[in-house]
Formats: sequence, C-alpha cells, structure tokens
Amino acid sequence: MDIVLRGIFVFFALYVLMRVIGRRELSKLEPFDLILLIILGDAVQQGLTQDDYSLTGSMLAIVTIAVLQVAVSFLNYRFPRLRPVLNGEPVVVVQDGKPIDRNLKRERLTLDDIAESARMQGIGSLDEVAWGVLETSGTISFIKKSE
Amino acid sequence: MAAIPDRIALPRHRDLEGRAGGIRWRRAMVALLALFAVAGLLNVFGQRPENTTVAANGVALRLHAPDALRGGLLYQASFTIKPSRTLSHAVLVLAPGWAITQQINTLEPSPATQTSHNGQIALGLGSIRAGSTYTLFGEFQVNPTSVGRFSGDVTLYDGDTQLVYMNRTIVVYP
Repeated sequence: MDIVLRGIFVFFALYVLMRVIGRRELSKLEPFDLILLIILGDAVQQGLTQDDYSLTGSMLAIVTIAVLQVAVSFLNYRFPRLRPVLNGEPVVVVQDGKPIDRNLKRERLTLDDIAESARMQGIGSLDEVAWGVLETSGTISFIKKSE
Repeated sequence: MAAIPDRIALPRHRDLEGRAGGIRWRRAMVALLALFAVAGLLNVFGQRPENTTVAANGVALRLHAPDALRGGLLYQASFTIKPSRTLSHAVLVLAPGWAITQQINTLEPSPATQTSHNGQIALGLGSIRAGSTYTLFGEFQVNPTSVGRFSGDVTLYDGDTQLVYMNRTIVVYP
C-alpha cells in the first residue's frame, strides 16, 4: 500500500513540478539538462521504492504511475476545459518575422533561443517566419511566410 | 502573410487574454517550491542533531540526536550521563518510539543488560562513578515506512529509583 501511495504522491508532485518548471526547460536536452534529469530520476526512485528491492514493489510503482498517466491522458481528452491546466496552451512568440517580447518574457525565452530553434528547422532568418508558436511540448514550431 | 495556424486563437494564444491567472499560479508554485527548499535548509524536515539536557537528583543527562527524521535515514545518537554521585545500577530506559520507528543497528558500549521496563527498552549500564562521564552511542536507521510522531522519551534510573526524565517526541517525515 505504501508504494502505491508514494507512487500517487510522486506522480502528482512531478506533474506540478513539470508544469511549474516551464515547457521550454523540459524540451531542450543539453548535456547539463540530461544530467539533471538523471539526478531527478534517481532522487525520485529512492523516495518511491526506498529499500524495497522486490519485483512486486517495482511493479506496483510502475503500474501506479502508468495508470495515473492514462487517467490524466483520458481527462485531457474527455474534458477540453481541463486541457489548459493539465497540458498547457500554445503561445505565439513570433508574428510576421517579429518576436513578441511580452510572450518571450513570460516564457523566459531569449531571441537566441528562437533563432536556434529556427536554425534547427532550416530557417536562417526570422524574416522568413510568419508564425512561431511555442507548443505545449516545449518545442517552437515555425510557419514560413508564403512565397 | 501566412494564414493563422489552425486552432490558434490570437486573443488567447498571442495576446494571452484570460491567461493572467496561469502565470500567477506558476509564480506562486515556484515560490512555494523555493519555500520548501528553504524549510529544508532550516532543518524543518530534520536530520540535524540537537542537544537536549535535563538534570535532576544529582545527574545530568544529555541527548545528542535529531528530533525530526525522514524514512530511511541513518543517524547517530549519543546519551551522555554525568552523575555528581555514584550510580550503582544505572538503567537507561527508552520509550518504544526508539524501536517502533527505526532499526537499532548498534549500541556502544554494549549495555550489560537489555530488558523490558513496562513495554519500554531498559538498558543496564552498570555502575557509573561520581564525576565521571558515561556516553552511550547508538546507531539507528529510520524504517522507510515510519511516518508520524512517536514518543522518544528517555528516563534514567538508578536501580528502581527514577533520577531524570527527558520528554521528547520523534517526528518522522515520509
């Protein structure tokens, strides 16, 4: 029972934490971010199963988290009004080649971040961009201007 | 200029109308997380040992141990006895909380006797000379599933005579 309760607590604590940290930080996996993620996983594991090395214990933890993940996904699908809370909403960060400063500030994005994302999608200059949208996944999608 | 992408509503997704609450909620949660970390720094969730001393009937008993603990923690506690008169049969009695919440890995020096005293753990320490210092070291590990408040009282007897009593609560965080 204890592991299931811990699993439920850890799931919701991590869910809130991930929503608070911000989508951008979660989507980029630079070497330091990767190390942080590994440390986070290790810290969570210790709190979750503690000194229980049994297969039953690990399965309880895994199944609890999997069931909660499916439940949240179902709520997200079934109740559209919950989506902004559970999943977040996209934010337009570039319009007609011009960054929207207020939205960049809100999402703690710099022009360098935008330019980097654009380059990764084969876009050399923001002048080519009609719309840039920070998606709920943390990636920035770009829609080019019409020729 | 390309058309507005599907399912993007400019008032909501560009001008962020109706989304001020979201950023306030996020900031409040960040503040809460920071507070949690600060509380940890300030020993709210335990582990840092504290000194508790009680003295009566010519004996001083000092306990050096954390008051608050967390599941799985390994820690050391020391019980220091300084009598101003010789104790012929010193017995240190620990409340059940010392054993219910945690594993007692070792007690050094090993008590001469270990018995039950009304459901509590009674450790016979033998004779302690007046003016000397006797320190009993204990190594403990908190049971991972222990959560709550437990009695951590410590009482020192000389034979059947109670000398000093230390009222103490052990708080175990999950």
